[in-house]
Amino acid sequence: MLSLGRSARRVAATLVPQTWLWCARNDTASTVRRLSSPSPRYDVIVIGGGHAGVEAAAAAARLGTQTLLLTHKIDTVGQMSCNPSFGGIGKGHLVREVDALDGLCARICDQSGVHYKVLNKRKGPAVWGLRAQIDRKLYKVNMQKEILQTPCLTVCEASVEDLLLTEPEAGSPGKCCVSGVILGDGRRVHAGSVILTTGTFLRGMILIGLEMHPAGRMGDQPSIGLAQTLEKLGFTVGRLKTGTPPRLLKDSIDFSVMARQRADDPPVPFSFLSEAVWIKPEHQLLCYQTHTNPKVEQLIRDNLHLNNHIKETTKGPRYCPSLESKILRFPNRVHQLWLEPEGLDSNVIYPQGMSMTLPSEIQEELVTHIRGLEKAKIVQPGYGVQYDFLDPRQLTASLESRLVQRLFFAGQINGTTGYEEAAAQGIIAGINAGLRVKGKPPFIVSRTEGYIGVLIDDLTTLGTDEPYRMFTSRVEFRMSLRPDNADSRLTFRGYAEAGCVSQKRYDQASRMNAMLEEGIEALKSIEFSGTKWARLIPEATISTNRSSLLSALDILQYQEVNMEILARVFSEPLKKFAEWRQLAQRLKTEAVYKRPVSFQRAEIEEVRRDEALQLPEDLDYFAINASLSQEVREKLDSHRPQTIGAVNRIPGITPAAIFNLLKFVKISHQRAKRTEGIK
Amino acid sequence: MWLVWGPGLPAAGHCFARRARVLCRWYSQAAQRDTIFALSSGRGKCGVAVIRTSGPSSGLALLQLTGTNKLPLSRSAALRRIYDPESSEMLDRGLVLWFPGPGSFTGEDVAEFHIHGGPAVVSGILTALGSLPHLRLAEPGEFTKRAFQNGKLDLTEAEGLGDLIHAETEGQRRQALRQMDGDLGRLYRHWSDALTKALTHIEAYIDFSEDDNIEEGVLSQVEATVEVLEKELRVHLQDGRRGERLRDGVHVVIAGPTNAGKSSLLNHLCQKPAAIVSPMAGTTRDVVEAALNIGGFPVVLSDTAGLRDTDDAIEKEGMSRARERVRGADLLLAVLDAAEMAQQPGRLVSTLQGILPPAQQDGAQPTLLVLNKSDLLGGQNRAALLGACGQLGLPPACLLSCKTGEGLPSFLDTFKEQLSHMCGDPLLGSPSPTQARHRLYLTKCLEALGCFGQHRHLDLALAAEDLRQARRLLGQLTGQVGVEEILTLIFRDFCIGK
Repeated sequence: MLSLGRSARRVAATLVPQTWLWCARNDTASTVRRLSSPSPRYDVIVIGGGHAGVEAAAAAARLGTQTLLLTHKIDTVGQMSCNPSFGGIGKGHLVREVDALDGLCARICDQSGVHYKVLNKRKGPAVWGLRAQIDRKLYKVNMQKEILQTPCLTVCEASVEDLLLTEPEAGSPGKCCVSGVILGDGRRVHAGSVILTTGTFLRGMILIGLEMHPAGRMGDQPSIGLAQTLEKLGFTVGRLKTGTPPRLLKDSIDFSVMARQRADDPPVPFSFLSEAVWIKPEHQLLCYQTHTNPKVEQLIRDNLHLNNHIKETTKGPRYCPSLESKILRFPNRVHQLWLEPEGLDSNVIYPQGMSMTLPSEIQEELVTHIRGLEKAKIVQPGYGVQYDFLDPRQLTASLESRLVQRLFFAGQINGTTGYEEAAAQGIIAGINAGLRVKGKPPFIVSRTEGYIGVLIDDLTTLGTDEPYRMFTSRVEFRMSLRPDNADSRLTFRGYAEAGCVSQKRYDQASRMNAMLEEGIEALKSIEFSGTKWARLIPEATISTNRSSLLSALDILQYQEVNMEILARVFSEPLKKFAEWRQLAQRLKTEAVYKRPVSFQRAEIEEVRRDEALQLPEDLDYFAINASLSQEVREKLDSHRPQTIGAVNRIPGITPAAIFNLLKFVKISHQRAKRTEGIK
Repeated sequence: MWLVWGPGLPAAGHCFARRARVLCRWYSQAAQRDTIFALSSGRGKCGVAVIRTSGPSSGLALLQLTGTNKLPLSRSAALRRIYDPESSEMLDRGLVLWFPGPGSFTGEDVAEFHIHGGPAVVSGILTALGSLPHLRLAEPGEFTKRAFQNGKLDLTEAEGLGDLIHAETEGQRRQALRQMDGDLGRLYRHWSDALTKALTHIEAYIDFSEDDNIEEGVLSQVEATVEVLEKELRVHLQDGRRGERLRDGVHVVIAGPTNAGKSSLLNHLCQKPAAIVSPMAGTTRDVVEAALNIGGFPVVLSDTAGLRDTDDAIEKEGMSRARERVRGADLLLAVLDAAEMAQQPGRLVSTLQGILPPAQQDGAQPTLLVLNKSDLLGGQNRAALLGACGQLGLPPACLLSCKTGEGLPSFLDTFKEQLSHMCGDPLLGSPSPTQARHRLYLTKCLEALGCFGQHRHLDLALAAEDLRQARRLLGQLTGQVGVEEILTLIFRDFCIGK
């Protein structure tokens, strides 16, 4: 659903000749200054200031590496180029995990939201989807403030024309090594690693009706040098499409005939650090719901010949189709449309579900057939975008390219869609680019540890043929990887292994964790028979026919029971846990998932063991002397699994093939050891 | 870096700050690894079968199955009785071996059971192991993988193991395919499709219901599907006394009028004179029993007193015992005098009715009709007699002669077929460890479906997890479905899109 039109234009704009560099740095936050040194040097350079770019730059800077963020316009940093919302089911998990690693988006959302709502509230805390409508302007302002005040981070307005490449370092795969970038004005900036987060800048095309033009200003060739270099280096590209709905003028809409959706009261913050969000519950804005009707369907059918975008064979997302494809695939149905505010003082409404590429005059007519939109005015018509992405199977799990050493990719360029998916990759690329410079081992989130791990493992092992979006159904260990415990899963690792987590956050997570453990112990120590419990807590229907003792932790699993009720009965030991609202909620969640989580642990161990068996990066699957069929070799070569765990997830690989691969690797390993011994 | 061997977390560990490690307890708390088990000797009938377990619960499994509280001396064979830990029934007597880790094949605690190779014993012990906590059937090649992970596998050992795993999985695949033809395959595929669909719907409901038009109705559909599945699985698993029959033997009772040749038949089957035979009616007055192995199936064969009107008190008692036996029989061999019947084919029905217990004259009692003394019949009479049996809708009939041995081989074939029908799945052919595997996975699948019912109204994420688990377990028999397939189904069935 993310339109890439805007970010693609951004890249094109970098072609405007620039005579000097405007930079903003934390120490000169309010002033923009000129980069003085003729050939400056940084540890990490991040190209692109979108959602992946800012997380990458901030993460690298948190590691203490000198970081340069290059963007064509500082004013577009943190821009929400498509929908005015953050989070959702599965996506909310990603935001929480980015936050657990001390990323930015969760905190900025807590400062910029206008309508907070937890989705799936009735379906169990493992699948709650934190979501909020965000004020676009506020988000951008708050993000820029944050980025410009980050220590070790310099932000510069500059176009990037090309990469500086050198001979590859011995001992790791790759045909060359990146050592910096060449700017639009021909100057060189050197760096230890470079992260590309340039969205859809490769051959982006905008489509409205039968019109089609390059994303970017007419006549501009999108970032020629960089695109050509990537092509020359032999990166495999694929093509994707997506679309965006028309924007409507708020004043022209009759909301009185539509169903209202209220925000949560109290709103649930995204960040573990936020006690509450910035907006007062009662000041939150409303969202509205309306529907399509047969007239709309007929109009779309009558005008299919005027619609180039949906005729194309390029893959679009199945989960976020255009209105046209929804109507073609599921005819004679009413489809939902959500009207979402773009901000507190914005007069623009974003009609979620109405993405389309019909000619603009037909879009104008179509809108007026919808209830409540009879007089609606379109501010900007909907359009489709097609673009190239780089096959993410060319990356390692640290998001470093296998072809070019020290070059990292994150965000939409890897075939994903969504701010959250971009941010999740950005933070991992930023951390690893920093660790690479420091000569430390990469920081990999396993798919047993987080949605981030699932996202990156899916991308780098299986690739994608549609814009990849996070769903909870993609996650094997959904009971264990919950929004509530993202800090227990990632904050301590981030602190100890990557150094991307502040002391403050670490201390807070430690306190929470200690209290959780203490609380669980306290609950376990209170034990009675079912009969006694039924008497103590009459509101719950506790089964009395079990002879064994039940602990308070067992009782807490009951739907009707919460910490408050337990603390009413056992004030002394439990009061302090019940009083801390977040802690009480987390204890309840731990109790509910206690059993499945303990079952999943054994499975998680199994996957981790497989993941610990690493395969060499540069294995030539066609040449190796192992009993593998040609088909299996081809699959292994195109997926380039990094561990035996990843091999297991490639469709069509047999246990026998896995075994033969293991055997081969072990023999090679022993040979390598022997040779080392001789040396 | 070539590769990292040995267990451990992928990137975790060494550089962890001590405090961080303490705090990470939630995350890295060592979970108890499953203990795996499998038949490690070849499939099919053989003198000795070896069942092996590997993992932390191996010792416990060994103690539980041998009903002792002391492990045998490590690495030396000990003769033990092997029991079902739940029913305390003895399953077999065999050699057990105990290899404590790390000095074992896999590097973990390993137990081996060297037992008699009959399918009944093997499937009995596999089932018993599967009922223990933390024990599960091994995946193909899993023992080897564990050995690898623990750095135990030596290269000479490794040679050929790949081919073995290949053969194993190929064989299993072929076997699975074979089984997948026919009604059982259709049944499994039907379950698999129904469960996949239910899972798809619940996943769609979790991931998309808030923004899209996925109605609550989807959930009641899922519930209905699960309910039906539960019922069907339960019926399938409770099918007859098959498991018991395998353990205890099929009770086959020979009954019929006096002097029809019942005891001769018993002696033929035993291949030794177990009962006294004479041309005098009423020779056998009590029940004569013999335990036999017929075509790999354990059979307890009982010969009973012939049925006739008599005033002899002893013979009367014998006949009442005979009737009791007939009532409790799994399979009845109704022996009739072919020569007598050929003269009056009309008496076939009434004679048979006299043998069968009244309640079961509706044909519920599995019966084979044995027409003895074929040597006394001419060719024409034979055809007429068999024709009459067919016309009257009587149980399958075998014409034979205990005296000349004529017709006995074909009778044995029919008998074996009937036994396999009763012990194994009628569509599976012979009972095999494969079937024990099916039973284990289906039982666990049923358990998971039961949990779904409990969790459904508590927490939908938990309920969905139960369906995932059920689908995974069924997938062990029918093939797994991946996330991509589930997503494809979701997008096919629902209009998702904001």
